[in-house]
Amino acid sequence: MAQPGLAATELGDREMTPFQRSRALRWLCTLAAVAALVVILFPVYAILVGSFESTETLFSGKFYWLPHAATLDNYRTVLGAASQSTQETVTGAQSGNVLTSLIVGLGTAALALVIAVPAAYALSKYRLRVTIVFVSALLVAQIVPSIVLATSLFVFFHWIHLVNSYPGLIIADGTYAIPFAILVLRAFFFSLPNDLMYAARVDGASEWQTFRLIVIPLARSAVITVAVFAFLAGWGDFIFALTILNGAGIEPITLGIYNYLGNYSTDWGAVMAAAVFAMVPAALLLVMAQRYIASGLTAGSVKG
Amino acid sequence: MTTSSARLSGWRRQQLAGWLFLAPAIAYLLFAFALPIVYNVMLSFEHTSPATIANFTAPWAGLDNYRFILHDPVSRSAIVRTLVFTFGSLLGQFVIGFALALLFSLRFPGRTFARSLIIVPWLLPLIVTGVIFRFLFQAEGGAVNQVLIDAGVVHQPVQWLNDPHIALWTILIANIWLGVPFFTLLLYSALQDVPLEVREAAIIDGASAWQRLRLVIVPIILPVIEVTLLLGFVFTVKVFDLVIGLTGGGPANATQLITTWSYNLSFQVFSFGEGAALNNVLLVMALICAPVYLWLSRDSLRRSSGTAR
Repeated sequence: MAQPGLAATELGDREMTPFQRSRALRWLCTLAAVAALVVILFPVYAILVGSFESTETLFSGKFYWLPHAATLDNYRTVLGAASQSTQETVTGAQSGNVLTSLIVGLGTAALALVIAVPAAYALSKYRLRVTIVFVSALLVAQIVPSIVLATSLFVFFHWIHLVNSYPGLIIADGTYAIPFAILVLRAFFFSLPNDLMYAARVDGASEWQTFRLIVIPLARSAVITVAVFAFLAGWGDFIFALTILNGAGIEPITLGIYNYLGNYSTDWGAVMAAAVFAMVPAALLLVMAQRYIASGLTAGSVKG
Repeated sequence: MTTSSARLSGWRRQQLAGWLFLAPAIAYLLFAFALPIVYNVMLSFEHTSPATIANFTAPWAGLDNYRFILHDPVSRSAIVRTLVFTFGSLLGQFVIGFALALLFSLRFPGRTFARSLIIVPWLLPLIVTGVIFRFLFQAEGGAVNQVLIDAGVVHQPVQWLNDPHIALWTILIANIWLGVPFFTLLLYSALQDVPLEVREAAIIDGASAWQRLRLVIVPIILPVIEVTLLLGFVFTVKVFDLVIGLTGGGPANATQLITTWSYNLSFQVFSFGEGAALNNVLLVMALICAPVYLWLSRDSLRRSSGTAR
């Protein structure tokens, strides 16, 4: 059936379909990818430009593709320096936003590591009866919508006085990160040879020493991946900040953005400057931790 | 005799160590997942008020809260809307995500660079995505209307956020934008695993590009497609931040989803019982996926100790 001659030419250039051997078509692919990237990146570009626009420009009813009369006023507003010059529609949203988000993000990462690293080790290297049940529970936990947890956690925290507190928010934000972290780390620990643990035991190391001195150093890259994602989860959380922080006091940047939106009038300049601040960790991580992000994303994550 | 008893105590010691390593995670899961879910079920059968929240119990309400959900027009339409929105998003995300995954599995200049940038939407806080789209889709001064008017597609500004018939479409567009990178990335890595010989064999047999895709590639990567769609469903059914950032559920409740309306019931009017009942509808919708998800993850579940993949 097949025509041998044709097949030979078609497969002459391995890894390439006939379609692709045409140079013009390859450039067409590049063009398509550029078009996709424009759609994907334009919103980020627009908010960067918008964050440098003056209030007059933003309310002029015209969208400027390039910065028009650029100013740093919006950033001053968000950092709390020039609050007299803008209408005082918002109170309490000041320079603490970024610091608060940093604390929440780092706290979430720390909590996730403290709970997930030993748990993942136990679930991969010890024959425990609960393993299958517990891993199933983790998979199901990733499915549970945050609003379901938020309602109950708000009431619990009300009882134990964790409403409006960092520990309360960090415990809640852990629900995004911890099941995911355990599953990713568990998959990683499977790749460590058991002989490593046997050797340590033969040498007289305790279970804790084996974990602390042999396993953790080897797991560094997986631990970083998990920490990066837990940080982003805590940094980007909005729903728990909205429900558990309940107004006054602590205000992470996501909640700050929401407050700048306002009920009736939006302070667009402040919204966009705050949004730019909120995007910074993602941008930094994209540049600095690309490989960790790629490995984490393909580990089957559920965000939100 | 001594060796066997030593081995036994070693085994016991290991069991103990394993349980101790796992203990914090068990405690956390009980506190942050199991208890809230159970308490949410309890709340949904109680007549709550701001005063009862301070106590452990409230008067028994029977099915009153569920009856309320069934008769409240906003709750009912929020449930239907959530389903329509979720399946609409999945369709868009899958078609565009798969197309991009196929594009990136071809060889062309700049593909590695393009692929590394495509994950940007996935990394942004969801509330940021919400406000970005709110900015772009403003009726006056929004970039989208400006492009459409300049191109002559429309003559009047489209009320993307203020027209009750259009606002849900706007959120749908934003959500598709948000979800495409996830689909692209997972489907792309699945496509990389399709053996070259299989594709070559199909070419030799004279299959067209469309036939190769439909009859060879899709069946091979079907397990990944299933997992991706499932995770996409779970992810979209609980979307909250995006809607709050874009429309806040408005105009006139035209974009209320289960999550946003439940938030409204619990935290704006403080009817925690009614909010909890609506939460449980959402929880059931999400948990329908659980058995399928567990079944698709069965390999990772069965893997017990030590054997590397």
